[in-house]
Amino acid sequence: MGGFLAGRGSLGLVALAISILALVPLLALGADALLGRGETTPVLGADGLDQIRGTLLLVLGEGILGAVLGTATGWLTAVCRFPGRRLLRIGQLIPLAIPSYLQAASLIDWGSHQGLRIHGLGWAIAVLTLANYSYVFLLSTESFSVSGRRLLEASRSLGVGPWASFWRVALPIALPAIGAGVALSAMEVVNELGAVRLLGVPSLSAGILDLWQVQGDARGAAVLSLIALVIVGALIASERQLRSRSRRWNLGGAAGSDHVWPLQGWRATAAQMCTALAPLTALAIPTLWLQQGWEGLSSESWDDLWPLASRSLSLALVASVITCAGALLLAVCHRWSHQVLVKHMSFVAGLGYAIPGSVLALGLMVFGSPIMLSPLLLLVWGYGDRFMAVSKQGFDAALERIPPSIDETAASLGSDWLEVLRRIHLPLLSGPLLMGFLLVFVDVIKELPITLALRPFDFDTLAVRVFQYASDERVGAAMGPAILIIIFGLMAAFALIPSLERRS
Amino acid sequence: MPTQSLSRASQRTDFCRIRPAVALGIVSALLASCATKTREVRVYSGRHYSSDQALYQQFEQATGIKVRLLESKDSSILQRLQREGKNSSADVLILVDAARLANASQAGLFQPIRSDALIRDVPVELRDPNGLWFGLTRRVRAMAINPEVVQPGLVTTYADLAKPDLQGKLCLRNRSNVYNQSLVADQMILRGDAATGQWVKGMVSNLRQPVFTSDVSLARAVAKGTCGIGVVNSYYVARMLAGQTGSADKSLASKIEVKYPDPAHVNVSGAGVTRHAKNKNEAIQLIEYLTSPSAAEGFARGSLEYPLKGFGNQPILRQFGDFRSDGVSAAQLGRKNKEAVALMAANGWK
Repeated sequence: MGGFLAGRGSLGLVALAISILALVPLLALGADALLGRGETTPVLGADGLDQIRGTLLLVLGEGILGAVLGTATGWLTAVCRFPGRRLLRIGQLIPLAIPSYLQAASLIDWGSHQGLRIHGLGWAIAVLTLANYSYVFLLSTESFSVSGRRLLEASRSLGVGPWASFWRVALPIALPAIGAGVALSAMEVVNELGAVRLLGVPSLSAGILDLWQVQGDARGAAVLSLIALVIVGALIASERQLRSRSRRWNLGGAAGSDHVWPLQGWRATAAQMCTALAPLTALAIPTLWLQQGWEGLSSESWDDLWPLASRSLSLALVASVITCAGALLLAVCHRWSHQVLVKHMSFVAGLGYAIPGSVLALGLMVFGSPIMLSPLLLLVWGYGDRFMAVSKQGFDAALERIPPSIDETAASLGSDWLEVLRRIHLPLLSGPLLMGFLLVFVDVIKELPITLALRPFDFDTLAVRVFQYASDERVGAAMGPAILIIIFGLMAAFALIPSLERRS
Repeated sequence: MPTQSLSRASQRTDFCRIRPAVALGIVSALLASCATKTREVRVYSGRHYSSDQALYQQFEQATGIKVRLLESKDSSILQRLQREGKNSSADVLILVDAARLANASQAGLFQPIRSDALIRDVPVELRDPNGLWFGLTRRVRAMAINPEVVQPGLVTTYADLAKPDLQGKLCLRNRSNVYNQSLVADQMILRGDAATGQWVKGMVSNLRQPVFTSDVSLARAVAKGTCGIGVVNSYYVARMLAGQTGSADKSLASKIEVKYPDPAHVNVSGAGVTRHAKNKNEAIQLIEYLTSPSAAEGFARGSLEYPLKGFGNQPILRQFGDFRSDGVSAAQLGRKNKEAVALMAANGWK
């Protein structure tokens, strides 16, 4: 048994099984589209073109802004020294804790009180950048602090200044990480539904859902889904291209030395402003909104906050453990296997991230409901499928920094993949593992469409309750659960601090 | 380096020790939740007002039947029920909007019910002719007017919304909003497709700004004078007036004049027993309870909708005045829904 498990073939089988699990809802939807009702020849009307354009502009806008903001904050807090740096570095995680639908809803609500109309593409790009740039920050800052310290030192000793060091040494080394971050955040944008719909921007995800669920046109929806998949495929491919072009291997801690640029005077102030902007905005928006609800607070019942919180927490815990385990196996398989098929499978398994949660939920319903799979099982399956890529991208990037020569040495000394994983990869990956776990955890706590669609009876979570109260315009009642989501998100985000700090 | 890896190894074993404990806890919690078995009725609901829950609790106390609830978006609930088929554990399906109720009937999600109480308590135009579903509350698509910008006397019917006098003063919610879809369906039934198409086109050219995504933000824009007139369900303004959405909204709403077009388009929220209900008797009992005169009043009261009969006795609703229904039945609205959406799209309603 041990021998079989340890063989590379078994690793491939495990990866295959995970990929198939991830693909099932998509295949179910595909079958539904082929066999189901709908126009015989789907046509993209004016609506369809609007939706494609909307999604492309969102991806482009958020991608550029997110890359700039994430890289700038990552670089400043990793390599420069200025007053408040530690706090501001941690602060970059705050936006992750606050769901984008909450940001959009509070902004719109606050604006309509002020007579300010919050609507349209510009606002949507701003909200999505705020909600997602932290992915770029996390991956880029890790790369700035870990990789290429020696090269930076060397460039410095050769008389290259801070800016030139950034452009000519650090940025090229960090490109794979930045690319991975941008790809993650762009996928988040492609499948974004709540905020974009509230802000009135036509998008593919809304179009898919409307066609499929409201108008019952499965084929039309499948065509739009295909277009969304093409966009995501292009994102992933470009990210891989970037990564392969600038592949560097580096042994994490070994190169660490206290090599920093102290900033003073206006430079320090500028750095502080640049890094404080996003976290402060992210906190200010819901605060402005909540401030309107204080008066209604006393009349609300707080009894069910604890059951709501415990459901959210246990779901998030289970889903993150399962998701990270799956993602780790896929990442390791991708590294070890030479079979093209297996490599493709692990790529495909990450696609769930690119699919709007509500569409994924539909796929799970199509597959799971007729055979009476437990709603809780479907729910966790949905989370795993949806967030596999969040942890896997980080694992892949981290594994790439471990020289393959180490694996080869271990293998030549008689270690199988399980042993290499246990004794070499896991210890070296502990940072990315924790990060992956916490990112999935926060995402599940915030997740709305899958939970709303698949949960069992009497199983409301914090996010569901916030959505219901907020769409009923009952700000006072939405406050308790909303604050708890933010607190849990912040706790998880702050648990990342040790892994950030150890690197810098 | 060796000490580092040692400490990491010990972290790992800690983690391994915790994991089974967590898993065990979760499994036992799940088991505990399905251990008890009492009389119950399982409800899929597209309504999400906490006043509903108070009413379900009253039902539990009165009958000893436990109400188990799943609230979600209508379209998502419909899909779920359809996919679950005969395995579904839902007994009652509650939806808002006539078109959705009709869609659910067409998809065969309800079973016909014979109940004297329901026939007595629910007016004929507010229930399905075959007893598939029964209305719970009524809501009216009203005009919210800022008298400083638009003369309230200028509009008395929905058709007036297309008048050139309202150029740059009208605000509407988006096409995907089902209340607007039903309003357009209603006009198509009363006035025909061509006239309704012209009407939609006229309204679109009167728009002050691109369409809104919620009734409340639209009402606020009217109160502030950004929009002179808007089309909303009256209970949104009523809730603002009642202070349910905060004191700022309360004073804002006092600047809005709510006017019911004559005749008015009346929509419903309603409930039916699902086709594969496992607890049919309990399901009928619940619907009878919800539509009984005392409870129906209660159902409507919390959300400030109108009860099935009369205009209720709430001061805020009385202040809006009475309305006269245009007599289009909910079932008719449902049949026309798809055509209405197409007509809206063809005439530029975003």
